[in-house]
Amino acid sequence: MAQHTLEVLVENSPGVLARVAGLFSRRAYNIERLSVGPTTDPSISQMDIVVNLEGHALEQVIAQLDKLINVISIKEILPNKAVPAIHDTQPDYQN
Amino acid sequence: MSQMTGASSLVASLEAAGVDVMFGIPGGAILPAYDPIFSSSIRHILVRHEQGAGHAATGYAQVTGRVGVCIATSGPGATNLVTPLADAAMDSVPVVAITGQVPSVAIGTDAFQEADIRGITMPFAKHNYLVTNPADIPRAIAEAFHIASTGRPGPVLVDIAKDALQAMTDFKYPNSVNLAGYKPKSVPENQAILDAAELITQSSKPVFYVGGGVIKANASRELLELAQLLGAPVVTTLMARGAFPDSHPLHLGMPGMHGTVAAVTALQKADLLITLGARFDDRVTGKLSTFAVNAKVIHADVDPAEIGKNRFADVAVLGDLKNTISALIPALKAALAKSQPDLTPWLRQMNSLKSAYPLGYDKPSEGSLSPQYVIERLGKISGPEAIFAAGVGQHQMWASQFVSYENPRTWLNSGGLGTMGYAVPAAMGAKVGAPDTTVWAIDGDGCFQMTNQELVTCALNNIPIKVAIINNESLGMVRQWQTLFYEGRYSNTSLDSKRIPNFPMLAEAMGCVGLSCEREEDVDAIIEKAMGINDQPVVIDFRVHRDAMVWPMVAAGTSNDDIMVARETAPDWDSQEL
Repeated sequence: MAQHTLEVLVENSPGVLARVAGLFSRRAYNIERLSVGPTTDPSISQMDIVVNLEGHALEQVIAQLDKLINVISIKEILPNKAVPAIHDTQPDYQN
Repeated sequence: MSQMTGASSLVASLEAAGVDVMFGIPGGAILPAYDPIFSSSIRHILVRHEQGAGHAATGYAQVTGRVGVCIATSGPGATNLVTPLADAAMDSVPVVAITGQVPSVAIGTDAFQEADIRGITMPFAKHNYLVTNPADIPRAIAEAFHIASTGRPGPVLVDIAKDALQAMTDFKYPNSVNLAGYKPKSVPENQAILDAAELITQSSKPVFYVGGGVIKANASRELLELAQLLGAPVVTTLMARGAFPDSHPLHLGMPGMHGTVAAVTALQKADLLITLGARFDDRVTGKLSTFAVNAKVIHADVDPAEIGKNRFADVAVLGDLKNTISALIPALKAALAKSQPDLTPWLRQMNSLKSAYPLGYDKPSEGSLSPQYVIERLGKISGPEAIFAAGVGQHQMWASQFVSYENPRTWLNSGGLGTMGYAVPAAMGAKVGAPDTTVWAIDGDGCFQMTNQELVTCALNNIPIKVAIINNESLGMVRQWQTLFYEGRYSNTSLDSKRIPNFPMLAEAMGCVGLSCEREEDVDAIIEKAMGINDQPVVIDFRVHRDAMVWPMVAAGTSNDDIMVARETAPDWDSQEL
């Protein structure tokens, strides 16, 4: 199974790592690798999450991640592709 | 902007959010907030257990469509809210919970009554906050109400450290909320609506699979118009009872594990499921790989993560259901004008099943009281405006089956989490939200013993709910499974005696009127007597037959095709043209 990397921009708020890690645990998905770092905006952090998922399971993880209030956006880096596919199931719609 | 304590800022924020009532119990960490509550315009109802506060907030929200609010102290106060908040999450109910937390300097020291309630509720709460800076209180409250009530509704918890409640701060309630990571989609894409309308016109066996989302979105009227426009059969899930009138000729009843033969078969044999605010729960689908194998799926929901979660959607329509159905009506009219499918054979088949397999029950031969009869009479005598809240188990299924629901927000139950003990506190919250409406809790004797203490709250706060205990001296649904799947080995499901506790005496002790009934000929008179008592809560102990079972039944993990109408009795499929 191909590894996929999710670049997740999150609000730099307390507990956000627990929210993301807890979501994977609760929905019974594995994290292969996880790194968290700052961005140029101190209020936003970036998480790079490597998962061994594809297809339906990958779509579900992305959709569930996107429901976390502190998750701002999710970019999926496809294996062997230079152009990232941008997933945002809650894009800039009217409220 | 004005200077005040964090506690006053909290109460002012709740007032600004439009809160008129909240359910709670004070304690050490939340105590500063209870001082301004004392002089607030918000009605605070002092419950007897925090779980009661949580379910009451849920019942209030289910009936009014507004956000229900509960409040508790740190540690055990907060952990007692866990079950009702998990319950509200599973059933998508807008609830805001306020909890006190130990002072910020003590957080992490295992201080007295410290529990990490934010961490504990993280897996299921829609969102939660830990506030340690008093200046953050108004924003946290405003965001909590916004998140709880928009998109797919759900519970939000705001945990506030005691020192933040005590410190002085400036109060300014935000005019608007802007969350970078939360923009629920309200209006569906036009293309999705057109695709849905197109798919509908290509179907000769469509069925409306209606879930609780229709009620949440206040879209019952739109659904009625849409269903009548197409003239296709409708099924309403356990969470959607009342979303479409039971008396309507297109209604086939409830699908799922204890659904009607017609509703279950309609989903199984359909060529199109028009799914509105439902989530393909395992209690509806049975064994997923055998569910509605020939059907295409239109899935309309406000939650993007539900689309394709359990079942692939051929057309996904993301948005608020009221908007979605409103947009679908003219689109379907236009599509039908070009191509009108003939649904007559399909409707004839479904109506034939509906009349061949109506919901029914056998009365016990030895003359003891039939639980289904009691529930049927409760529904008939109370009328279509009355509100019913059920616990979890056999009585819940019978209350869904044998009460006729004509209006949305008249049927409350714990569908997703299956919380025994939901009924009494939820009925309490419902009655607070609809004080002029008759509110019945239909409860089991097992459930009732979990949360009946809230009858004290009802008696002391002029909340005259009515409780019908369907007392079969056992944990009836578990017993039914033991009968069917464990060779009648009734391990720990007998509650042993109709007299311990003595429910009417227990009710009287809590300031209610306590009645009992064990003969069919007395049922109507006792219900009418209860209907006449409106200045006090009433509890009726209906001492019913112990071995009654809920039918039809699709055993857990099996296919809906294997539905049984009674023990070892499948429908006579050969006599049906399907």
